[in-house]
Parts: sequence; C-alpha cells; structure tokens
Amino acid sequence: MDPTRTGPIALSEQRMRWLEARQRVLAQNVANADTPNYRPSDLQPFARVLSGKVSEKPMLTTNANHLQGSKQNDGRIAKERIAANREPGGNSVSLDREAIRIAETDSAHQMAITVRRRYVNMYMTALGRPQQ
Amino acid sequence: MDLDRALRIAASGMDVQTRRLRVVAENMANRDTTAETPGGDPYRRKTVSFTNRFDREVGANMPKIRRVGTDPREFNSRFDPTHPAADNRGYVKTPNVSSTIELMDMREAQRSYNANVSVLEVTRGMLSRTIEAMR
Repeated sequence: MDPTRTGPIALSEQRMRWLEARQRVLAQNVANADTPNYRPSDLQPFARVLSGKVSEKPMLTTNANHLQGSKQNDGRIAKERIAANREPGGNSVSLDREAIRIAETDSAHQMAITVRRRYVNMYMTALGRPQQ
Repeated sequence: MDLDRALRIAASGMDVQTRRLRVVAENMANRDTTAETPGGDPYRRKTVSFTNRFDREVGANMPKIRRVGTDPREFNSRFDPTHPAADNRGYVKTPNVSSTIELMDMREAQRSYNANVSVLEVTRGMLSRTIEAMR
C-alpha cells in the first residue's frame, strides 16, 4: 500500500491543492474590488470536485502540435450570479464576503496540513522512529 | 503554483490602488492651482478608471489602470479682481476639485489596499505552513 496515493495523505493533498487554487481566485476578486463590471468568481465546492462531478481532465489531443489548453481554464471556476449589492459601476465584489471566504480557506488549509502531519506521525510511530 | 500567483494578484491590486492614491494626491495638491493668464483655465481634476486584463502567465484577471482621464465638470469661480488670473469681470476660475470627493476616493483606495494586504498576509501564512510541512 502506498500511503501517498490513498487515504488521508492523498485526500489532504487534494484538499490543499483545491484550497490553493481557491486562494488564487479569491485574491483575484479582492484585487478587482474596484474594477467596473467585474463579477466575482469562486471554485466549485470541494465535495463536488471530489465526487468527480467536475472534470479536471485536460483537453484531448490527437496530434503533438495540438495545444493542451491551460490548466486554469478547466471549467472549475464558476462566475457568481449577480449579487444584490451591485455598485453603480457594475462591480459586485463584497470585501467582507471575500474576507470570510479567505478566512475559511486559511483555516481549512491549516486543518489539511495538520491532518497530513498527524498521519505522517502515525507512520513514524509505527516505524519506530522519533516523531517529527 | 497557485499561492505564488495569488501573491502576484494581490500585489497587482495594491499597485493599482497606489497609483490611484497618487492621482488623488495630485488633485488635492492642485486644489488651489489657478491659471497664469487672465481668464485662463485652472487645474482640471484627474480621474482614474480601472479595467482588468487576463494575464496568461498568472492565469487570472489582473486589475489595470485603463486611463487617467479628466473630470468634465465645470470649474468653480470666485470673485477676486486683484488676482492675476481674473477675467475682465473680476472672476477667477478655480479647479473643480472637491476635497470631500477626494477624501472619499482616498478612503476607498485605502480600504481596497488594506484588503489586498490581508490577502497577501493570509497567502504568505499558507505558503509558510506548506513549506513547514515539507520538513
């Protein structure tokens, strides 16, 4: 059994990857908080990504010269519906909502890291080595 | 790497807000700048408009300054016949800068700048935790 492919380590790795991608999207929302006609976006929920409802597969190519498409545009990013609190300039970023999401992402990231470290420690104990 | 990109996006957000503050400072500093010739136009308030452009390298919409324009509002005028820029009726045109509007603009820029700084701090925390996990 490869512990890095299955179980909590793989899951926490996937979770961290999703959280990092989300942080990028949220940073984009905050940076564009004053851009006219900008609509904030967010990732598809992690549960949906995990259940395989959102495909992460790259574009199919039949020739070596075909472009793969960038991995950022894999359809995981969903534009939000136009929120009620739209500014006159057409911008619908709400900084406090983004702040909550960033805080969520931050604590979830800490959680994922902790889970991973604990699990690695269990292996270390089983192998009879001092813990990290 | 996504966290690295998030840092760059936050930095670009800070950059546009800084440039906006620079224009606000320019407007405030020129609040009393009148023309040098009689009846001439004084300083005209400058405005900043934002847009975003998709940055292929970062893979995100980065905020950009679209252009620094001018405010088409009418100038204020003041009766001061002894002023060198007074017209033949004795009125001096003064800039169309309103300190209240500039103050609000400054506050908004400051708020957005702070939001970007917070994103930067949180992202840095996530990054250092990830590095810590590699030890």
